Amino acid sequence: MKTYIAQRLAVGLLTLFGMSIVIFGMLRLAPGDIVDILFSTGGYVNPSERQAIERELGLDRPVWEQYVEWMRQIATGDLGKSYRYDLPAWDIIRPLLPVTLELAALSLIVAVALGVPLGVISAVRQDTGLDYVLRVFSLAGLSMPSFWLGMVIILTLVAWLGWIPPVTYVTPRENFGLHAVQFALPALAVGYRSSALIMRITRSSLLEVMREDYIRTARAKGQSGRVVIWRHALQNAILPVVTVIGIEFAFLIGGLVVTETVFNLPGVARFLVEAILWRDYPIVQNLVMVIAIVVILSNLVVDLLYGFLDPRVRYGH
Amino acid sequence: MTRFSRIALAMSLGLAMVFAGPALAPAQSPKSGGTPKYGGHLNIMQREDLAQGFAVHETSTIATSWPSMPCFNNLVVFDQTKRAETVDNLVGELAEKWSWQDNYRNLVFFLRKDVKWHDGQPFTSKDVKFTFDMVREAPNAPAKLRINPRKDWYSNVEDIETPDPYTVVFHLKRPQPGLLVMLASGYSPIYAAHVNPASYRTGCIGTGPFKLKEWRKGEFIDYVKNPDYFVKGRPYLDSLRYVVIKERGTRTAALQAGQLDVSFPGETTKTAAEQLKKAVPGLVITPVGTTVNDNIIMNTKKPPFDNPKVRLAVSYAIDRRALITTVHQGGAVPGASMQPKPYGVWGLAEKDLPSLPGYGKPADMKAQARKLLKEAGFSPENPLRVEMSTRAIAMYVDMASFVINELKQVGIEATLKQVETAQWHPMATRGEYQIGANLTGLGVDEPDANYNENYACGSPRNYSQYCSEEVMKMIEQQSQELDVKKRLALVARLQKKVEDDAARPVLDWRLDYFTMWPHVKGLVPHDNIYNFGRMADVWRDRQ
Repeated sequence: MKTYIAQRLAVGLLTLFGMSIVIFGMLRLAPGDIVDILFSTGGYVNPSERQAIERELGLDRPVWEQYVEWMRQIATGDLGKSYRYDLPAWDIIRPLLPVTLELAALSLIVAVALGVPLGVISAVRQDTGLDYVLRVFSLAGLSMPSFWLGMVIILTLVAWLGWIPPVTYVTPRENFGLHAVQFALPALAVGYRSSALIMRITRSSLLEVMREDYIRTARAKGQSGRVVIWRHALQNAILPVVTVIGIEFAFLIGGLVVTETVFNLPGVARFLVEAILWRDYPIVQNLVMVIAIVVILSNLVVDLLYGFLDPRVRYGH
Repeated sequence: MTRFSRIALAMSLGLAMVFAGPALAPAQSPKSGGTPKYGGHLNIMQREDLAQGFAVHETSTIATSWPSMPCFNNLVVFDQTKRAETVDNLVGELAEKWSWQDNYRNLVFFLRKDVKWHDGQPFTSKDVKFTFDMVREAPNAPAKLRINPRKDWYSNVEDIETPDPYTVVFHLKRPQPGLLVMLASGYSPIYAAHVNPASYRTGCIGTGPFKLKEWRKGEFIDYVKNPDYFVKGRPYLDSLRYVVIKERGTRTAALQAGQLDVSFPGETTKTAAEQLKKAVPGLVITPVGTTVNDNIIMNTKKPPFDNPKVRLAVSYAIDRRALITTVHQGGAVPGASMQPKPYGVWGLAEKDLPSLPGYGKPADMKAQARKLLKEAGFSPENPLRVEMSTRAIAMYVDMASFVINELKQVGIEATLKQVETAQWHPMATRGEYQIGANLTGLGVDEPDANYNENYACGSPRNYSQYCSEEVMKMIEQQSQELDVKKRLALVARLQKKVEDDAARPVLDWRLDYFTMWPHVKGLVPHDNIYNFGRMADVWRDRQ
């Protein structure tokens, strides 16, 4: 087990190295840089002033030198300074992480709490009226983008109640109740979409397992339907569902852009887009690396969960 | 300076003290809503995070000037309690009095002696000289701005002299009455000489009614009352918060739900205002000018727009009133290159507009456009094909789409190219485009600022690269004209000239439907989005 984890972490490091090259290269390929944006706020461009700023930010150096400098900074634990805010990149990134992690976790809780039971019901009641209703429910969830749902929620609330959740981030310490309210609605909006996916995977996986011989045997032995479903069938059907949950979590870390924007939550995803638009390389590069680390770790956790959920799964030598 | 000239200056300053021009008290008489109350807090809408912190001199965006206003002061400012931005409405802020001398060649300011910076340092004439020497890039300037968009505003300033800690003299190369108006802009605050100008990108040491408490990046900007503010009894409010909300729908919902008390200048369209009013009838909505216009930039250095006939054909082809009705749902007004009355001082009268290209009967205008195109060698068999560039932002794209449709009706086939913000200004400044749909905001309703920035030969913001000796002379002539009526007439001629040359055809001037809750008192939106929001006179009627 330890060897397996060590191997996976080593592969993870290689992946991060590859990621660093990809993100660094892609950012430089995108047209324009921070200096263009700065001049945009002034409405003009002056070539000599432009050169001075490039020199100040180190953008006049060869690209490979900029990459080596970034790697050196990572190795020394210094992530550089934001071009836009002139502050250490880590000081900017650090407060964003808990917001996104909390929203992603809450969204997943909503998704699993809705998706798994509804998927089971849908599979057990296959081709009944209830199954059709649940399938429409899940299809709607997949079809409705969460940002659209989020905006509909906001507009409905303001139209009917003249109220919306706080638009300024409230920490749990400041006011736990308001904090919970602030996160509940975006978590529902995002969780609904993810639940639809989880429900469909649960349903199809369970339907497949329900056709297995051992299920028929369990029924023949006189076990109750509930025991057959929850103890025998679901336990074997859950592996693909866990995979989807892992993928969803990884996706949510970077994919909450619009939800964070609509609900005005100061999270990673919203800030990442802003940083990309500003070509704030130190922020984008390091933020993507942080997201990549979270994705790699969540994948590792999912793989380890396989072994826990299914004893037949054994890890490599 | 010789001894004689020093004595002469001292004498003239003494006289000026006696006969100083409009010796006005700072704006301090909120007229609306009864007796002001002290205390309370306001949440104010902020469309996006600060572009470059509080470094107002390094930006040209309302996203910086609006939330920076409470931190700073100017020498003079437009009366914050009056909507119109005219010379008559100028009041002193850091300057107690001022005086034009030597036939408008010297502008003398007598400064307040009771002003302190937020860090406790005294404010003196040294700060004024430091600020404007830096902005005009004087040879001996003690500091340099990283980006300096308004250097041209002060190109006529020859020297800035500080005879004593509380007197500043702007020596001009030639008379320029408009300088005083430019000094009143929200883009002309005084920086502290003892503070590195670069530090304004991350913080704010000002003399204004509010002190910066915290700027949480991407979230909010918090201010607290400045207890040492030089206007006794101001500000009324204890604190301000500018809440950054990127999503327009969320911003509007937050205002409607009462989480925000005040909207963002230039943010509320006519349609949005009508919806808000319907939802919350008590909201106070004031239609005001913005000094932001929609215009067409054409690259005059490259074919086909190096041909004035083709440029003019484009101008004739676009039905301004239809643009206002369809794209802006009536939330804009027609006008030439200066903001029209009653929103502006210098704009052409309504009766003068029909004589300009594009303002007459649409059918006649389009016929004229076809005729000009034919003369330029284009016909239905040989149509003019161009690429219309615009910024990839809805308010630009909507306008560009309308213009493309109008051009199609006269035989110009234009395809739309959306350009990302990062590329827009570099592209426009370098002239790497054929024709573009553009928005221009004027920091102040003053011909000197507008024409020197957007029409003068060699100006980096003259995106059309239009250059006319005649126009340059006209700009100079109006700039130094001291008689207001004569200057108005000169500016009118200038407006007609640049429209007739299709230098940068103006399509309309946008209006803002500035919105706030009725408990916000003393906040008067101006007919220019950049020059109000000091917040010293604003108070809250309901705690």
